[in-house]
Amino acid sequence: MRRDLRAGGIAWRLMAALITAMPAAASADVQINRLSDMTFGALPTTGADQVQTESVCAASGLIGGLYSVTATGSGSGGLFTLANGSAALPYEVQWSATAGQSSGTNLTAGSALTGLTAALLNCTLGPNASLIVVIRGAQIVKATAGSYSGTLTIILSAN
Amino acid sequence: MFYSSSLLRRATMVIASGTLVASSAGAATQGTLGVNSTGTVSITASVAARAQITGLTDVTFAAVDPTVAASNAQSDCVWTNTLNRGYSITASGSGTASAFTLASSSSLTVPYTVQWAASTGQTSGTALTTGTAATGMTSLAANPTCSTAPSTTSSLVIGISSANLLTMTAATSYTGTLTLLITPQ
Repeated sequence: MRRDLRAGGIAWRLMAALITAMPAAASADVQINRLSDMTFGALPTTGADQVQTESVCAASGLIGGLYSVTATGSGSGGLFTLANGSAALPYEVQWSATAGQSSGTNLTAGSALTGLTAALLNCTLGPNASLIVVIRGAQIVKATAGSYSGTLTIILSAN
Repeated sequence: MFYSSSLLRRATMVIASGTLVASSAGAATQGTLGVNSTGTVSITASVAARAQITGLTDVTFAAVDPTVAASNAQSDCVWTNTLNRGYSITASGSGTASAFTLASSSSLTVPYTVQWAASTGQTSGTALTTGTAATGMTSLAANPTCSTAPSTTSSLVIGISSANLLTMTAATSYTGTLTLLITPQ
């Protein structure tokens, strides 16, 4: 009887050891990495859209690599706008769950794009997603001359 | 006695007075591992000063009565993207030293006048001197070609005085080109 209890105690210890030995990446953690600043330079006033894209890392430890992405700009109410004093230049943000893309799904400021999947558990490997920013030619033509800047915040969530 | 003359004019689009260089607003930040992970990207761009004039039409004075001054007014579109939507206009003719003159095939010449107004539908405006910029103009154009309201923003007025008409030879064509240069301010 005493021997059985001892055996059960060993089993519990083994289970505890197994649980704590599971890698952290198997948790529901996510990570966004490999982001770079985007510099459009002098925008042409020909009416042509201007696009900048960068390959980034989006990692998810959730089962199936599920994650969602939410973007907010530095404009009023989180809008995707660049500022030049009181003048604003709107832009669009797209996301693709594949690296090296020049177009993707349009993001709405503050709204999560869900159902995305990542094959990466962490960002030690190469990029696996694309962040695309588009400044429409029609907006450039309407813009006041000057230098514009803004900050785009990207939030990855596990779901 | 009747004279005929025609005036050809040409639109000129003006290119930028300067390109503004974007300044960096900050460096990208990377997200860390967590239930949520947040990163930021700085975006910069610049828009150079630009201007454009459109909607110009050729001017013809046909068989005019030389005892009465001839005048032709037209409305056109000037667009600029500067903060105050300001611009200057410089006109130059095709005569000697860019004079505002029309010439016949036998080198007879007749001077004309050029006026500009920064509002549409005008029959008079600021008298322009060839090669000299008239400054302080502003435009309400919403886009480079005024494809949305207002469809016109300014007025060009070409005139030939009776005194000059009386110097012209009848049944002779006089032609010339007027160049308009719009510079954003």
